[in-house]
Amino acid sequence: MIAGQIVNGLMVGGLYALVAVGLTLIVGVLHRINFAHTEVFMVGGFVGLVIAQAVPSLPLAMVGAFFVGGILGIVVERISFRNLNSEEASITAALSSLAVGLLMLDLVHHIWGTEPISFPLVNALGSGSFQLFGVRFVPVQGLVLALTLVLVLVLYFVIEKTHTGRNIRAVSDNATAAALLGIPVKFVGQQVFFITSALAAVAGLMFALRVGTVNSDIGITFALKALAVIAIGGMGNLWGAVVGGLLVGLMEAMAVHFGFGRLAELVVWGFMIIVLLVRPQGLFGSVFHGAGARA
Amino acid sequence: MSSDLLLLTTINILMAWSVYIALSAGALTFGASAFMAIGCYVAGILTVKAGLPMLPACFLGAAASGILGFAFGFPALRVRGIYLILTTLGITMSMVVILENIDFVGGTVGLGGMSGATVWHGVGAVLVVGAALWWVSKSPLQRVLDAVREDDEVAASLGLNVVFVKLTAFAVGSAVAGFAGGLYGHYITFVRPDAFNVLISIYAVMFVILGGTNNFWGAALGASIMTILPEQVQVMREWRPTVFALTIIVLLLVRPQGLITKRFLTIRLARKTS
Repeated sequence: MIAGQIVNGLMVGGLYALVAVGLTLIVGVLHRINFAHTEVFMVGGFVGLVIAQAVPSLPLAMVGAFFVGGILGIVVERISFRNLNSEEASITAALSSLAVGLLMLDLVHHIWGTEPISFPLVNALGSGSFQLFGVRFVPVQGLVLALTLVLVLVLYFVIEKTHTGRNIRAVSDNATAAALLGIPVKFVGQQVFFITSALAAVAGLMFALRVGTVNSDIGITFALKALAVIAIGGMGNLWGAVVGGLLVGLMEAMAVHFGFGRLAELVVWGFMIIVLLVRPQGLFGSVFHGAGARA
Repeated sequence: MSSDLLLLTTINILMAWSVYIALSAGALTFGASAFMAIGCYVAGILTVKAGLPMLPACFLGAAASGILGFAFGFPALRVRGIYLILTTLGITMSMVVILENIDFVGGTVGLGGMSGATVWHGVGAVLVVGAALWWVSKSPLQRVLDAVREDDEVAASLGLNVVFVKLTAFAVGSAVAGFAGGLYGHYITFVRPDAFNVLISIYAVMFVILGGTNNFWGAALGASIMTILPEQVQVMREWRPTVFALTIIVLLLVRPQGLITKRFLTIRLARKTS
């Protein structure tokens, strides 16, 4: 029973991690918070819904969510971050992206209404369950866990081993020096927004698969917690976001398991406030952020 | 213009001012709806279960909000910039869940039975708070706030108690939000915890940005425009968040440095380490 809860917590934590990784990467590269990120996560589910209603193919829905999410990311970068690039404008840019997120939310409300819509492809994975290491899995859980693992590993590979990733690391380390060395800083920013938003949209689709419905609330009720996760893991720290996401997912599952019910929602914010008080740089510190940001 | 709309407008002006007051000491907060909820629930409990008249209950609600603002603000204001935003977001998100789990105040079902708020209470509150803000803007206190907001390190080196100034501003802002909450509860007569969700806080911040962060007139103007116009124009009523968001986006694009940076230099996401 508790093993089942652990698997469930890891799966939810994996989704937190996918959203948080994107947020933290943007903090690392641009020193900005992208509040539209949570709504891109939400839109991912609706993109999946549209594709699934037209063509009953889950891989196609995933790919569609990936690219639409990525393009939305580039749009957000253009609207909210490109022109607001001075050091003083970071809060302004965050507020602008918040407005973009609000816009996406309202447009989704106008097109699909405010009620959750059931997702057609949930049964395509087959019902029933299988047993692994003495823990029961339903297919959706297996898919979400496996896909999260794959996406995080691919992201690791891209960041650490490819030319693109080297550029991203260079810009996050020192944007001015990177520009002097001929790295196209603006283009790197677009790449980061594409990658992170695409991941968020896919995560949103996986969330829809898990709960069986597409819901316009999840940006605020679920993905917003990823903001707490990046503070817990350390702003700008990729592995902090992954470990923080899994940790928060596990803690929430444990809170539910031990009968705290809805109070489990408090876990992530309480944990964040404690971390910020005791260890302001986050559990894993940060390679990108100096002490001046927190003081 | 109906008196209902006028009362809602005054409540929104108070909410915008609660954000503005904290902001004038350099603390951008997304906690307004949490303190509005505290004020609303404390005042509601006092009138419904303890039988107090409405106005004293609202004042006590505002006081409770201010005291809790002081208590929450103490840890929250140790962090700043983006971390302060996250902490206040956390307070807002947690407050809804906490209220839903207290059966004494009705849990998820909600709290009902308050009544008695008229438009004159709202207008009176706006006049009193507005007069206080006007007095502060003419007094040396404004220079203290300016110093703390623009550069807290310099302010500290001049002997100002930066933490105390920020904390007081945060608590006063919370109290104003609490009073707005009390009025709102006694106007709407029935509230549920999720009426105080994070969107209320986001709107309150956007009122201030829309109107300008430089003075308290701006916040009042932003709140008034965004409350009254949507009721008068059909298209705006249906597309309220869209119109609102587009206005903010365009405003921030046309003034790339943003209205907020003009007197708001120390709030930064990060000073680059290099």
